[in-house]
Amino acid sequence: MFRNTYDSDNTVFSPQGRLHQVEYALEAVKQGSAAVGLRSKTHAILLALKRSTGELASYQQKMYRIDDHVGIAIAGLTSDARVLSNFMRQQAMAERMIYNRPIPANRLVSSIADKAQVNTQEYGRRPYGVGFLVIGLDKTGPHLYEFSPSGNSYEYFATSIGARSQSAKTYLEKHYEGFADCSLEELITHGLHALRETLQQDKELSIKNTSIGILGPAGAHETGVPAQGSFRILEDEKIDVYLQSMVPKELEAPPITAPPPTAGDVDIQMTDN
Amino acid sequence: MTSIGTGYDLSASTYSPDGRIFQVEYASKAVDNSGTTIGLRVKDGIVLAVEKLVHSKLLVPGASNRRIQTIDKHIGLATAGYLADGRHLANRARSEASNFREFYHSPPQVKDVTERLGQYVQVYTLYSSVRPFGVSTILGGVDKTGPNLYVVEPSGVFFGYHGAAVGKGRQLAKAELEKLKLAELSTREAVFEVARIIHLVHEDNKEKEFELEMSWIGAETQGIFLPVPKDLHQEAEEKAKAALDNFE
Amino acid sequence: MDHFPTNWGRPRNDAFDAYGTYPIQQRPNNIKDNFNGVQRTQQPIVTGTSVLAIKYKDGIMMAADNLASYGSLARFKDVQRLHAVGNHTVLGASGDMSDFQYIQSLLDDLIIEEFTEQDEHTLGPAEIHEYLSQLMYGRRSKLNPLWNSLLVGGYKDGKRFLAYVDLLGTTYSASTIATGYGSYIAQPLLRKAVEGREDTLTEREAQAILEESLLVLFYRDARSLDKYQIAKVTESGVSISESMALRTSWSFAEGIRGYGAQTQ
Repeated sequence: MFRNTYDSDNTVFSPQGRLHQVEYALEAVKQGSAAVGLRSKTHAILLALKRSTGELASYQQKMYRIDDHVGIAIAGLTSDARVLSNFMRQQAMAERMIYNRPIPANRLVSSIADKAQVNTQEYGRRPYGVGFLVIGLDKTGPHLYEFSPSGNSYEYFATSIGARSQSAKTYLEKHYEGFADCSLEELITHGLHALRETLQQDKELSIKNTSIGILGPAGAHETGVPAQGSFRILEDEKIDVYLQSMVPKELEAPPITAPPPTAGDVDIQMTDN
Repeated sequence: MTSIGTGYDLSASTYSPDGRIFQVEYASKAVDNSGTTIGLRVKDGIVLAVEKLVHSKLLVPGASNRRIQTIDKHIGLATAGYLADGRHLANRARSEASNFREFYHSPPQVKDVTERLGQYVQVYTLYSSVRPFGVSTILGGVDKTGPNLYVVEPSGVFFGYHGAAVGKGRQLAKAELEKLKLAELSTREAVFEVARIIHLVHEDNKEKEFELEMSWIGAETQGIFLPVPKDLHQEAEEKAKAALDNFE
Repeated sequence: MDHFPTNWGRPRNDAFDAYGTYPIQQRPNNIKDNFNGVQRTQQPIVTGTSVLAIKYKDGIMMAADNLASYGSLARFKDVQRLHAVGNHTVLGASGDMSDFQYIQSLLDDLIIEEFTEQDEHTLGPAEIHEYLSQLMYGRRSKLNPLWNSLLVGGYKDGKRFLAYVDLLGTTYSASTIATGYGSYIAQPLLRKAVEGREDTLTEREAQAILEESLLVLFYRDARSLDKYQIAKVTESGVSISESMALRTSWSFAEGIRGYGAQTQ
């Protein structure tokens, strides 16, 4: 059943100094459908693939608003995500109450990372089984962070988490240098292209299974966005226009040959090596 | 390690028959696999430097994703090992420093914070309900006694150093540190030395990309612990690379 | 002895306190019992008087004298009542000086905490003022106020900031503010000199306005001192001056009966 004797408890180091329970928690993130995040000089956006359990079921919620200037996309255990996102909302509100300012996004991410770290060290707990992409907008501009159950958090130009996210990352690594100067529409198209890479063979992105979260000034197809560019989640008909903008995969030159998704996906590393 | 799998290595609260606590030793393994971190105590200050291994080119370089933490105005800390554990200890060190200030209405010495942090780390080696910290911590700062540098190990033990290195390249780094006349160096000169040493030890780990992170405190920073300014950082890195080419 | 300076000089009520033992012996202590409840801070002890502050062209300027009184006694004459909070903010306090010292240590800790984050975010005057107003209101709601009137002034991101908060948690913002006795005596003078000219007043003019008001206060406020400091916050940060002396003139007193040596 167990791979070895050092993996049933998160308070045990393996002889190599590894924490197997934490590494397994990182696998839980990969069970969730993918989310992609990227940023330009003006915008930070999230895109996520929603699953539904059947024809009669609704699609899952993949994105949450934390505050006007912060939004998240999740991959992994939704119930853990709700605990952590609630905590983030409380932190954000406390910052507004005490200092009357929007909480700096990096500190918000650190606060949940620090919470997650404790769950990797104490008996009777398990590490969180969820990863976040967090976008934040503050006076230093738009930001994108990744939070993972190991208690690590990193800032990225663009990244992806969840099932087959390595394929999305391959796309992003190829194009990220051009993201800084993208318009919102171009950025979303890039995001959709990256998200598409995570799909299973016979699936495609639709207005039902795709969510887009945006921070930054209103785009060409948007109305009613507050001047400060508050976080909003676009779903259903609203995203049709963006889906239309995608370049069909076979036309995309040169064709991207994503490595076949394998179990040994080296998505997120536990150690900071 | 012959005791692997004998059952004496599954808990921090268990001794092996020959009196070792394997969980603490395994924690040190986590440190040994991590990027090299070094600290220098010189004439008028301290320099800390980290070989920050970069796992993706999508990471934002520079100020975010820091590995060197600030503890108080005049104290900094760098860790090797699990980054998340390092942040946990940094937070603890900050609250110890702040608690000291509240109680004594005076800034803590580096030793004060180190002693308290050492005790905290040691407690995590006593119980089966927790695991030890997977980090070695280098604390440095300038207090009323002058520059001070300490290393806290996962066992909770700590020593003062003139020059310290932890992480993967520590052996080579220590050999390099021993060649320096630390008591005569200025902090600015030390910045160039640590940059050179980090670049040198990275030679053995060349397949991975890395970023050099440095912070310092000394006469030039008015006794405040700060990241090394951009221009000096760049100059030190260029010289380090040049020195490396000559070396080969 | 009656240690409570506010009682000094007041007539004693011989009907119930013939030997002047009240309030020491009778003073409610903080031991809880089922009948009297708990009493907390009822009055300030060692106090500072007015703080004055105005906006001017380059930022804000604040002034306070160096006196901490013990009742009517001019007890401490070298107390600094202006405190720099980080690089963008100055805090001025009137009221209880020990409460002020406590607030200073809270803020110093806060600034270190913020410094250790080492990101590009720092607390400016608006954030410090919000924090203080939550602190003051929180304490008064526990019926245990910090007995101060505080002025928070600063300059950050090209914006001037000047606001007030007191022991009740009341706040307001204006281009001239004075606390304590100064709110009666100096505030009208400051308004007249500053309002409408905030963007043109030079540093020299601003300082002259404050000094003139301090002088008037020194003549009229028996709890004030002719030694004072001036703080300014501009683009380049906070600076608090050394102590300076007011140039007073008492010639007007010549004709006042009851002042100085009387001939008849």
